[in-house]
Amino acid sequence: MAIADDEFRRLIATHQRMVFSIALRITSDYATAEEVAQDVFLELHRTGERLAGDDHVKYWLRRVATHRAIDAIRRTAVRPEAGAEEWMEEQFVDDAGVTSAAIQARLDELLRTLPEPMRVVVVLRYQEEMLPDEIARLLGQSLASVKSHLHHGLKLLRRKAAVTMKEYIRESA
Amino acid sequence: MNQPEELLTKFEQELTQAMRAVDPPAGFAERTMARAQAQEQPRARVLHMPSRGRFWMNGGAIAAMVLAGAFFGEQTHVRHERERAELAQRQFETAISITDQTLEQVHLQLQQEGVRGPK
Repeated sequence: MAIADDEFRRLIATHQRMVFSIALRITSDYATAEEVAQDVFLELHRTGERLAGDDHVKYWLRRVATHRAIDAIRRTAVRPEAGAEEWMEEQFVDDAGVTSAAIQARLDELLRTLPEPMRVVVVLRYQEEMLPDEIARLLGQSLASVKSHLHHGLKLLRRKAAVTMKEYIRESA
Repeated sequence: MNQPEELLTKFEQELTQAMRAVDPPAGFAERTMARAQAQEQPRARVLHMPSRGRFWMNGGAIAAMVLAGAFFGEQTHVRHERERAELAQRQFETAISITDQTLEQVHLQLQQEGVRGPK
């Protein structure tokens, strides 16, 4: 049975930023992200009466948004830029000066760098501030797998962000 | 090795700050509500012909009209022909009748004048 309109409107207002941001950071495309986000809420509208409490709704929305966003990027077969592996081999990266402003300026580009499994885990960890075991439960993966994706994804981001910072400083000057 | 760990933690903090949730495009909530209300509308119970059926129905109707036209056209032709034949028959009969009358009159006249007919 569908959720009542007033309640549905309230749920959209409460959770739209989260749902849309998960979709956007995983798909890296605004139009696809909006489509995914709408589909998630429509599914909530159809089935949501069975969810008890805001925490349950929030967990459900995160899970469905993540899986639908993953499906969307697999459908479009978007692949991260080639050569990501060579970034993993550097031993030292000077990212001491990397700021959130620099990261934010190139965030879409940085995330697009990551292969899908790493990107999903990074988004859930740093945007949703979920713990690795929570991420593992949501994705249906092992904790070891999640930690591995997190470790490698973060390493790749750090290297890319260090390069980005130099460009950011140059552009900001 | 504390320094790399501190750097990593600092980077993670910067990353978390950079990855704050963003607003969806303007009107997102309204568009989503509209779709939700649309998906709740019951499908109207009307007889919907699938487009291909409609095409075939139209094609069949056209074919039926063509056949009907051909049939009635043929029937009209037949009627006209029959009318012409009937007219010709009447004209023939009239002509024969006139001829018979004429011959009868000639025969009577000859009899009166004493002309014997052939033996």
